[in-house]
Amino acid sequence: MAEGRSPASVPGGAPVISVRGVSKVFQVGKGEAVALQDADLEVRQGDFVSLIGPSGCGKTTLMRLIADLTEPTTGEIDVAGKTPRQAREDREYGYVFQAPVLYEWRTVLANVTLPLEIMGFDRSKRRERARELLRMVGLERFERSYPWQLSGGMQQRVSIARALAFDPKLLLMDEPFGALDEITREAMNLELLRLWQETRKTVVFVTHSIAEAVFLSTRIVVMTARPGRIREVIDVDLPYPRTAATRETPRFFELTTQVREALRGVEHGQGAAPSPRVAERSVGY
Amino acid sequence: MARVKRALPVVVVVAFLLALMYPVALLLGMPLARARMGSVSNWVRETVAALPVADADAGGERLPFGGAGDVDERLAALARGTAVVVRGSEVLAAGVDLADGAAVLPSPLAGPAAELGPPLAPLPAPAGSPGLAGRLHRLPDAGLVGAPLYRDGRLLRRGSAPALERADGARRDFTVPGAGRRSGDAPAVAVVAGAALLEGEGFELEGDTLVFDAPPAFNAPVSLLTADYEVLDPAAGTVVLRDPLPPGSALRAARSHVALAEGLVGAVDGENRTFTLQHVPVLETDPARVLYLDDTPLSGAAERPQERVDGSQRTFTFPSDRGIVTVDGRELVAGRDYERAGDVVTFAAPPPRNAAVRQYPDYRVSDPNAGTVTLAVPPAPGQTVWAAAYTYYAHPACGETAFECFLGLPQHPVPFPHWVAERVVPFFTAYPFSDTRNVVRATLYTAAGTLVSLAFGTLIGVLLAVAFVRVKPFEQALLPWVIASQTIPVIALVPVLVAVLGNLGVTVQTSLVPAAIVGAYIAFFPITVGTVTGLRSVDPLALDLMKAYAASPLQSFLKLRFPAAVPYLFTSLKLGAAAALVGALVAEVESNNRLGLGYAIIGQVQAGDVADVWILLGISALLGIGLVSLVGLLQRLVAPWQRTGLAAGAEDG
Repeated sequence: MAEGRSPASVPGGAPVISVRGVSKVFQVGKGEAVALQDADLEVRQGDFVSLIGPSGCGKTTLMRLIADLTEPTTGEIDVAGKTPRQAREDREYGYVFQAPVLYEWRTVLANVTLPLEIMGFDRSKRRERARELLRMVGLERFERSYPWQLSGGMQQRVSIARALAFDPKLLLMDEPFGALDEITREAMNLELLRLWQETRKTVVFVTHSIAEAVFLSTRIVVMTARPGRIREVIDVDLPYPRTAATRETPRFFELTTQVREALRGVEHGQGAAPSPRVAERSVGY
Repeated sequence: MARVKRALPVVVVVAFLLALMYPVALLLGMPLARARMGSVSNWVRETVAALPVADADAGGERLPFGGAGDVDERLAALARGTAVVVRGSEVLAAGVDLADGAAVLPSPLAGPAAELGPPLAPLPAPAGSPGLAGRLHRLPDAGLVGAPLYRDGRLLRRGSAPALERADGARRDFTVPGAGRRSGDAPAVAVVAGAALLEGEGFELEGDTLVFDAPPAFNAPVSLLTADYEVLDPAAGTVVLRDPLPPGSALRAARSHVALAEGLVGAVDGENRTFTLQHVPVLETDPARVLYLDDTPLSGAAERPQERVDGSQRTFTFPSDRGIVTVDGRELVAGRDYERAGDVVTFAAPPPRNAAVRQYPDYRVSDPNAGTVTLAVPPAPGQTVWAAAYTYYAHPACGETAFECFLGLPQHPVPFPHWVAERVVPFFTAYPFSDTRNVVRATLYTAAGTLVSLAFGTLIGVLLAVAFVRVKPFEQALLPWVIASQTIPVIALVPVLVAVLGNLGVTVQTSLVPAAIVGAYIAFFPITVGTVTGLRSVDPLALDLMKAYAASPLQSFLKLRFPAAVPYLFTSLKLGAAAALVGALVAEVESNNRLGLGYAIIGQVQAGDVADVWILLGISALLGIGLVSLVGLLQRLVAPWQRTGLAAGAEDG
C-alpha cells in the first residue's frame, strides 16, 4: 500500500496536477457514498496518464475534481500551480466528456469555435483556428455539417478538436471512446497518440480498456471501487512511435497482464492478494 | 416522386372524408326530408272546380272535351260514373262516365253546351311591343270575368305557371319549371304584374329561365302563359292570348255554359249520410269548398253557441235551427244526447268546461284524410250530392320522393361536397376586394390579428419563461396565477375587455386590439410552458462544458440554454398559433367586429346558408394550417439543424 500512496511520478517535466489526500463523499438520500478516498496523484508536464478501474472506482470523480466541476470533501488539488477553480477560470485545461456533447444547433465548425467565442477571440481568428483543428482530426470536409449528420467517432473527434481549440496545455479526457466500437476505437487511439505527440500536451485519460490504457499512456493509475481509491501506478515503457504493431509485442502483453493483475488485486512486489481471486470476480469490468 | 408519395396519404384522407360526407349528408338529411313530406302543411294545395269541358256547339250524349283531348288530370282521376254535368248550379246529368276524351251522358244534352256573349274587343299593342297585336282583348262586360272563352265556338283553356323566385326589384332571371318544353316556334308570353310581355320583346327564354331586359318591380308576380289565355286584369277584364287572334275569328265569353263537376261517392238511399270527396286529403276548414245537394248549396260552416261552455251549462243557442251537433269533434245523437227546440239545444249532460260545442247546419267534414263528409239529413233517392269546388292537398311541395325533398331542403345539416364546391367561386367573388365583406379580405384581417396576438403572446411567454427559470421565487409566486388565467373561459373575458377598451376610447368594432389581446392571452401560456421546459431541457454535460469554459451566466444562457429551448419554443409556438386564432375569432365575434372571419362565420350560421358555413369552416381550417405552417417555415429558417417538424421539440434535447 505504501507504493500506491506515494505520489505517482516519473522524472521529467514540472508537476501540472498535484492531488494530495483527496476524498469525495456524495450524499445519497440519507446515507453517504464514498466516491473517492485518500487519492494522491502527481501528473507532470507531457505525461499521458490513464486512470483505469471498474465502474464506481472514482475515475470520473477524480477528473471532475481536477476540472473543478465538483469540489473535494477533503484534501488539496493544485492544477498548474493554482487552485482548480482558478485554473478553470484561467482556462488551463480542455475537457472531453464521455459523450461528444456537441451543440446540435451549431455546425461542426461553430462547435469548435464555441470556446473561442466565449473567450472573446475575433471571428476570423476563431474560424482559422477551428479549421486548422478540424484538419488535424481529419474533418475539414464536414465543417458545415450538423452534429447529427456525423457518426459517433466523427462526433468525438469534433469534441477533441473543440477541447484543443484554445490550445490548453492540459487535456482531461473522460472515457472519450467509451461508446465507440472496437475498430473505430483503435483508429481513434492511433489518432490521439499522433495528436499527443504532435502537440506535447499533458493528458489525463479515463478508460475502461486495459489495452487502450497500455497503448496510449506513459503511466497508468489503477483504481479500485467501493470505496474508490488508487491502488497502483504502473509506468509504461513501450517505445515510441507506437503503432498497431506495438500491440503485438511481448512487452505490451506483459504490461496488460500487469494492469489486469493490479485490477484483480495482485499487488506488484508484494506477492499474492489478500483475498482469493474468485471473490474479486465481482469487480466486473 | 417523393413529393407525390408524401402528398398521397393526405389526398387519400381528404378524398375519403369528402366521400364520407355524402352518406353522412343523406343520413342526417333524409329524416328531415321524410318529416317534411309527411306533414300535409308542406303540401301543394290544389283546387277542384266545375270545369267547362266542351266546345260551344257540342250536344247529344257525348260531350267531347275541348282543347284536343287535353283532359284535366283531376277530372280524369274521377271514379267511373260519378261525374256530374251542371249548368251553373243546375244539375243536368248525374252519373256521367268519362271515356276517350269525352263525357258520356246517360241522356242526351238538351241545347248547346254554351251560350256565348258578344265578342271581346281587341286592344292595341302597347308601345315597344308590336308583337302583342291581336293577343290583347277586353271583355265586353266585367260580369263575364272568369267565364270560359271560346274562339269561334272552340273552348280555350286558361293557365299560367308562376316563377319559383320572388321579384326583389333587382333580379332579372326567373325560373319556371317546364318553360323550356314548348311546341312549335311560337314566342312565349310572360305575365308580370298584370302586364303581358312577349318573348323577344322584353325577355328571353333560356331553357327554363326567363331573362328580363329590365328587372320586374319588387314583389311583382311573374308567370309564364302555359295554356291558351290568361286574365291580365280582372277589374278591367283584359285577357292575353298565347296565339294572336286570326282575322275573321271571334273571341267570345260564355254567358252560361255546361261544366263537368265531381260527384260525391256514396249510396243515395234515403238513409246514408256519409259521402266521400274523391281528391284527398282535404282541408277541414276550406273557405273555397262549395257542395251542392242538387241545386241547393250546402253550408259546411261550424256554428258556435251563444253561451259559454262553463261545465254546468246544458242549454245552448245556435244561429240556425238544424244540423249536426258535436262536442270536441264527436257527433251527438239527437233524442239521446240532446233535445232540440228550434235553435235551442238542450244536452242530456252538460258538456265539460271549455269543450268545443259546434253545430254544422248542413254537413261537416268528418274525416279530412279520407275526404269523408257527413250530411245532417240523408239525401233522398234521386238527389245528387256534388262539389262545385274544394281544395285538397295534391302532393308534397318539396317533390314526389323523399330524395327530391332532401334535395330541396332549405337547410341541410351536412351538404353534399359538390354543392359546397359550386358555392366556392360565387362566395369568393360576391364582393370586390375593396368591400369589407370580401372573404379574402376578412381572412387576411383575421390572420393579421392572429399574427399580432401571436407576437405579443410570444414576447410575454418567453419573458415569463426566462424569468421563471432564472428567478425561482418568481415562478413560485406567479405560476399558480398563470395557470389560473387559463381556466377563465375566454368567452366570458372578452365582454369585460370590450367594455374596458370601449371606455378607453377604442372603437372595438373596427379595431384589431381585442383580437390581439385575447389571442395573446390564450397563446402565451403554451409558449411559457414550452419555453420553460426547453430552458430546463439542457444536457447536464453541456452545462458542465460551459462551466469548464468558465462561461458567464449570460454567455451560458445565450449560447446554450436559449438555443436548446428553441425547438420547444417552436413546438409551443405552433400550439400558440392555433390557440391565438381561436382567441382572435372569439374576440371578433364578441366585439361585433365585422371586418374579420369570425363575424362572417356567425353571420352565415345565422343566415342559414350551410354550404357557405362549410366554406368558412374550410377557410378557417386553412388559415389555422397556414399559420402553423408559417411558424414551421420560420423554424426552418431560424433553427435549420432541426430534423423533423412538430415532434422535434419532444426529442431529447
